[in-house]
Amino acid sequence: MHICVIGTGYVGLVTGTCFSEFGNDVICVDIDEGKIADLNKGKIPIFEPGLDLLVAKNVKEGRLTFSTDLKNAVERSLVIFVAVGTPPNEDGSADLQHVEAVARQVAESMNGYKVIVNKSTVPVGTGNRVREIVEESRKDNHSFAVVSNPEFLREGSAVEDFMRPNRVVIGAESSESVAIMKELYSPLYLIETPIVITNLESAELIKYAANAFLATKISFINEVANFCDEIGANVHHVAKGMGLDKRIGSKFLHPGPGFGGSCFPKDTRALAGAGRERGFEFSIIDAVVRVNDRQRQTMIAKIRTTIGSLRGKTIGVLGLSFKPNTDDMREAPSVDIIKALLQDGATINAFDPVAAENARQIMPDINYCKDTYETADGADALVFITEWNQFRSLDLERIKSLMKQPVIVDLRNIYDPAKMADCGFKYASVGRPVSATVR
Amino acid sequence: MKISVVGTGYVGLVAGTCFADTGNEVTCVDIDEKKVNSLKKGNIPIYEPGLSDMVRRNVKGERLLFSTDIKSAVEESQIIFIAVGTPPDEDGSADLKHVLAVARSIGTHMNGFKVVVNKSTVPVGTAEKVEAEIKKHTDHKFAVVSNPEFLKEGAAIDDFLRPDRVVIGVDNEEAADIMRSLYRPFVLSGKPILLMDRRSAELTKYAANSLLATKISFINDIANLCDILGADVEMVRKGIGTDSRIGSSFIYPGTGYGGSCFPKDVQALIRTANDHDYSLEIIRAVEEVNKRQKTVLVDKILDYFDGNIEGKTFAMWGLAFKPKTDDMREAPAIDMINSLTAKGAKLRAHDPEALSEAHRIFGDRVGSELELLDKRYDALEGADALIVMTEWNAFREPDFYLIKESLKTKVIFDGRNLYDPGRLKKLDIDYFSIGRPNGNGHVKPRF
Ligand SMILES: NC(=O)c1ccc[n+]([C@@H]2O[C@H](COP(=O)([O-])OP(=O)(O)OC[C@H]3O[C@@H](n4cnc5c(N)ncnc54)[C@H](O)[C@@H]3O)[C@@H](O)[C@H]2O)c1
Ligand SMILES: NC(=O)c1ccc[n+]([C@@H]2O[C@H](COP(=O)([O-])OP(=O)(O)OC[C@H]3O[C@@H](n4cnc5c(N)ncnc54)[C@H](O)[C@@H]3O)[C@@H](O)[C@H]2O)c1
Repeated sequence: MHICVIGTGYVGLVTGTCFSEFGNDVICVDIDEGKIADLNKGKIPIFEPGLDLLVAKNVKEGRLTFSTDLKNAVERSLVIFVAVGTPPNEDGSADLQHVEAVARQVAESMNGYKVIVNKSTVPVGTGNRVREIVEESRKDNHSFAVVSNPEFLREGSAVEDFMRPNRVVIGAESSESVAIMKELYSPLYLIETPIVITNLESAELIKYAANAFLATKISFINEVANFCDEIGANVHHVAKGMGLDKRIGSKFLHPGPGFGGSCFPKDTRALAGAGRERGFEFSIIDAVVRVNDRQRQTMIAKIRTTIGSLRGKTIGVLGLSFKPNTDDMREAPSVDIIKALLQDGATINAFDPVAAENARQIMPDINYCKDTYETADGADALVFITEWNQFRSLDLERIKSLMKQPVIVDLRNIYDPAKMADCGFKYASVGRPVSATVR
Repeated sequence: MKISVVGTGYVGLVAGTCFADTGNEVTCVDIDEKKVNSLKKGNIPIYEPGLSDMVRRNVKGERLLFSTDIKSAVEESQIIFIAVGTPPDEDGSADLKHVLAVARSIGTHMNGFKVVVNKSTVPVGTAEKVEAEIKKHTDHKFAVVSNPEFLKEGAAIDDFLRPDRVVIGVDNEEAADIMRSLYRPFVLSGKPILLMDRRSAELTKYAANSLLATKISFINDIANLCDILGADVEMVRKGIGTDSRIGSSFIYPGTGYGGSCFPKDVQALIRTANDHDYSLEIIRAVEEVNKRQKTVLVDKILDYFDGNIEGKTFAMWGLAFKPKTDDMREAPAIDMINSLTAKGAKLRAHDPEALSEAHRIFGDRVGSELELLDKRYDALEGADALIVMTEWNAFREPDFYLIKESLKTKVIFDGRNLYDPGRLKKLDIDYFSIGRPNGNGHVKPRF
């Protein structure tokens, strides 16, 4: 099938590349000329395991091209994916200007029946809005269908998630467009991927509801962790005891500094906002957002109590991206935490395996180190903010000998409190008092 | 091993019987003489599939005894389970008076090393309290263990025999070994026994129930949003439930959670946190949503009848807080009955198991504003509308023609989303459920 993907960010590039891997002819379109020029030179603008090889392969085999020419791409495609950004407005609602602009341009470029698929995360009602725009702006009354096909991939395992999704959600209004979408996803039938077919509104809501629920699990366990700190229980035991219940599941029950990234913060606020606009108070999500904001403050307080006064201290920060295996710094907890530490008068030496470049744009006035040991060198304390695998088995003796004093605040519970105590570290983590011993 | 289980309610009776079934000698103790006498006669006071056969078998095999004599039970046992009720206090915290009373008796009658196991759901720190209470009355050595129970009413036997996990909070090696061997027969399939400190074990029970309650309140809020947005919560449920990180269980929308555990445990956890100056925001929201959810279907009914249901009669299917149990504690059906009768309506209710519970709860009101009926279709006689409150299997495929013929107004209010809106539309029955667009235009819930 001939398809195009408009917006070549995380989602657009992965979607386009994977569909070309399935054997389709794909044009990836972006307005960012620099990005398209890079991609045409074989440079991948984002860090995503496995993506570069897959792009190279499909470009070489002639199924994947990059372009800034939206009109030409639409003319040559039956299915048009819209995967542009939907950043939050000031009030937390999703900014739809890119989606609407693309809808207009697509309409003006139509030369026959088209299936216009929203892959961006958009509020309920956007599918209808896109239909209206296309109806107003299209030439020659060409017929078309609007589909909502929210994307569930995770940065860091995006290709794998796209190729082996838990499910595919298709919100549509005509059987013809459903048939075309099912055909596109038919390679996934082999792995028996469930396909949920529903109306536009429900499909749009599914994406927000799923993210909001996952965010709820995170905030839930963070509250339990803070409570464990109060009462001297161990959140990992509690989480394990809970997670083994099939109805709960063990995933997303890891305490930490709160969720960040380009999706959870934005989608939770947008969902609560969509309710509020219609006079509906989404109490749980409001609480989830509040708890997440509070969690960063709790972490800052934890650092302060563990280290004492920060004035004049050198703090080594390990991990900056909002989660491991990505260079994405959007709404990363590290940003708020580092800002507070700087305000307290600390000097920050930071290391992240891949996100340092992006971090530098947001935080130009901290020192970026080349590895963990340089970060530890001369530090009064080390703070783990992202649980990159390479932080999991560090040479603790060496770290200790490099540091001015052996103090570690581990916001991802990477290490065992008892072991750290044995090594002679003053050690704080999230929801795990040393007294609640591990058997 | 010789075991006694003090408190022979849902949990105590099931635990005692299952331990007897794996070869232990078990004495089930209760202060309620009537209960003990009827158990001795082979009458099981609760409805629980498979339980009465199992009790009979183990009584016959002389491994299971019932008694009111806590003294000899304590003296003869190596392990003593406390499984008495921990009802909510007025402020929502768990009332520990029964637990501590039992601890006192255990302390008083102790004659050697005992493992005292808390099976009741108790707030963090109770193991220490029980320990202190026993210590006041004895010099014998003992260990207090926290071993929260995760069984579900309606599937209690199966849950106990095949648990997802066993949680044991213990700070004493000897007691840990005894508990491990006691539970070994139930985890032969490889399910884990999690040993941890007692506070973590106590918290695990509350945290697990609170997360399940969170799932329910979450989907209920999504359902209400679906009503407003014109989305279909049943599709949203499928769309999110297929995510392995979310899972498909416990995201069924309805009229709010009830029962003897969720409401009480959620409140108790909020309370314990407050006592430690910590505010659990999500769980508080979960509770608030649940209260609100109990009015959603009431509002749909009132909207349909233009706010006036004075003199109307409603047929109600389902009283128990969930199917396969006769338990009506905190059942949404109670709130529904109270809301409707307060507005001058009458009810004709049927439930396959919970009628005698309902008789007990509603007392004099039965016969005046509330009729209780043995047969589901009898409830429809002379009724204006049908309300479905519990998803018993027997309600899933009813004779819609008969329903339509019997009802004065052809309308069903379904708190459990049992029926297909399209099918009822074809049958020309007005149909309102939770979070699903219907053919009648939306009735917006009021908040
Ligand atoms: N990143 C994720 O993990 C993820 C996962 C699921 C869903 N989503 C959703 O997918 C959407 C895209 O997210 P992303 O992370 O890929 O965003 P992104 O910011 O990485 O990429 C968006 C791209 O769209 C381009 N663009 C903007 N306006 C355009 C226009 N008029 N014409 C052509 N191109 C245009 C931008 O130049 C940019 O390259 C968002 O709605 C997001 O919420 C993201
Ligand atoms: N019912 C459930 O599904 C369930 C599931 C898990 C945990 N739990 C928890 O288990 C505990 C017991 O719950 P239940 O539903 O079995 O309660 P229940 O009310 O059915 O039974 C409690 C029994 O304890 C007896 N009792 C009270 N004081 C006593 C005393 N001093 N000595 C001897 N017996 C006494 C009562 O007479 C009653 O028979 C509670 O803490 C509850 O939260 C219940």
